[in-house]
Amino acid sequence: MKIMGRMLLIGALLTVLTSGSLAQTQERGVTATEVVIGTSQPLSGPAAFWGVPVTGGMDAWIKFINDQGGIHGRKIRLVARDDSYLPPRAVANVRELVDRERVFAIVGLLGSANSFAVRDYLVENQVIWVNPLADANMWAGFKQKKHLFVTFPSYLDEGRILADYAAKSMGVKTMAVFYQNDLYGQKGFLGVKRGAAQAKAKVVASVSYEVTDTDVSGHALKLREANPDAVILYATPRHGALIVREMAKIGFRPKILSSFTLTDPAMFTLAGDAWNDIILTAYFPLPGWGDARVEETLATISRITPALAQNPFNALAGVSFLEPFLEGMRRAGPNLTRESFVTAMESIRNWDGMVVRSISFGPDRHQGLNRIAIVKAENKQFKKLTDWISYPIGF
Amino acid sequence: MALLGQYLVGGLATGSLYALVALGIVLLYRSSRVLNFAHGDLATFATFVAFTLLTTFRLPFTMATAGSLAVAAVAGAAFYLLILRPTRDATLLGIIVITLGLALVVNGAVVQIWGTETKVFPFPLSDTKVYHLGGVVISQVSIGSFLAGLVLMGLLYLLVQRTRIGLAMRAVSQNLVAAQALGIPAKKIFALTWGLATALGACAGILLAPVTFLDPFMMVDPFLKGFAAAVLGGIDSMPGAVLGGLVLGVAESLFGGYVSVKFKTTMAFLIIIGVLIVRPEGMLGREYKRRV
Repeated sequence: MKIMGRMLLIGALLTVLTSGSLAQTQERGVTATEVVIGTSQPLSGPAAFWGVPVTGGMDAWIKFINDQGGIHGRKIRLVARDDSYLPPRAVANVRELVDRERVFAIVGLLGSANSFAVRDYLVENQVIWVNPLADANMWAGFKQKKHLFVTFPSYLDEGRILADYAAKSMGVKTMAVFYQNDLYGQKGFLGVKRGAAQAKAKVVASVSYEVTDTDVSGHALKLREANPDAVILYATPRHGALIVREMAKIGFRPKILSSFTLTDPAMFTLAGDAWNDIILTAYFPLPGWGDARVEETLATISRITPALAQNPFNALAGVSFLEPFLEGMRRAGPNLTRESFVTAMESIRNWDGMVVRSISFGPDRHQGLNRIAIVKAENKQFKKLTDWISYPIGF
Repeated sequence: MALLGQYLVGGLATGSLYALVALGIVLLYRSSRVLNFAHGDLATFATFVAFTLLTTFRLPFTMATAGSLAVAAVAGAAFYLLILRPTRDATLLGIIVITLGLALVVNGAVVQIWGTETKVFPFPLSDTKVYHLGGVVISQVSIGSFLAGLVLMGLLYLLVQRTRIGLAMRAVSQNLVAAQALGIPAKKIFALTWGLATALGACAGILLAPVTFLDPFMMVDPFLKGFAAAVLGGIDSMPGAVLGGLVLGVAESLFGGYVSVKFKTTMAFLIIIGVLIVRPEGMLGREYKRRV
């Protein structure tokens, strides 16, 4: 009896010990039935126009995937935190997501300044980070990118391509930049300067605004004073709409170009007719181009969350940021760990998702997307003007 | 010359809105010494109410505005009666913190009810229809909001200086105990002041929304500027609030135009620091003396 008791005790101890060691080898945020991912987004504040539909698109697409049984039997749970577009709050959110919520990966995270602020923390803690929605050029020359995968376009290259297009295809000789005074606007501005220099055009003025500014009438006057042929915008939707209206108001009607961040039909609601004929870019096939999978995705997410139909581009962009992560999960198979995920992501070549296309990663390549197309705003639609324009892979 | 005129016009148009915000802040401060940090958010709330009345209920603009102002006034008075009155023994700092809390609550409610996306506020005057006066461009809505601002300030002046209610408001602010001893119903007067100040904020919100779009955070910057204008003009002086608003609007516009558009916002706060060092009571404020 005594021996039996001891054996039971030892058996129980062994069970506890082995289960304990099992728990240790198990990946953070991954169980047999669930994967937890986190994101920090501007769900309030000046960039909520982006953050709300982007997060909504991600959320709706996750519901769709989960309804089909998830991936390898695991449902995905998204923990989204609001940072109001403020870098310090993004840092606090990401710490909470990693330390307390124990997320497997950070997906998305909107804002160049915000991404820059959380970069060191995520790298030090070796957190999988798919798609910082931030200037991709920020990672060029960055060594510790093992857990980082990016399919977000580079503002620097986009600015260069926009300036080049303005000079060569629109006959623009002088241009001005209206930009947000942070990493987003500054990188775009730098790109425009480089593109203009290459195309022998001149940047005659640069006018920056702060995210909190509500009045841009003075900015519009500054732009008019310089009298450029074209004005290029690196702004939030609200500031973009405001400056276009202010310029129209004072009778200043240059050609206007803008980053893909404002390629959303909702801009017509804010800026009215003034948004017609603006030249922008796109990095995935937009609704209205006759791409069946994009239309299908939009229909799916709009069915799940009807409000997303109001901001189709931003909602689809939300899906596009998430898709590469899901593909990594699929490829990693049932045994999902950070290692297996990284290996799986690095095996992606010329992969087409529902929204993003032509994505390639590799052991030496973590910038998955390197092309954009020029589009023109016309009656709540965006007409494709050029084929996809590639830019050099930076990292 | 036309450019200078344009900067002045732009400055006066924004300045008149700052002045309206500042007036609401000053009105409350004068009567109760409370700095109401929820002023901007209450104004945003009222503007959204107007938006719903205009778009969902399809009321004419005047009725929607009246409805929104009524809601604002009731909200302001209710805040005083239900929250501030029961906690009136709290320290001044405590009360200010309560208003900060209210700001968060109201903002959260606005986000919950109306969402965060930017909306276009339907307004009878056009922001893109403009008039040319000797090279200076003025939009219909700028003229309208400037005039509306002046009218509101005039009405407020008449109310405070020429009516018995105004007299009671001034009495309560000067000496509460004496006023109560003379039979002035202080509770009602305070509630009225809160309602009035909140309705003023709502006016500012409704005049601002067609220019800057409508979203739950639209009053953040105008509130800060209105606050700055109040300090600049003298936080206990109503003419000071108006002057402070206009001076701040013009100074900002000129600074943005001729010095640096980048540091335009910073300049507003530099002005305040300067004022607090040189003349702490503000341009038209009474000299600050503490009775021993």
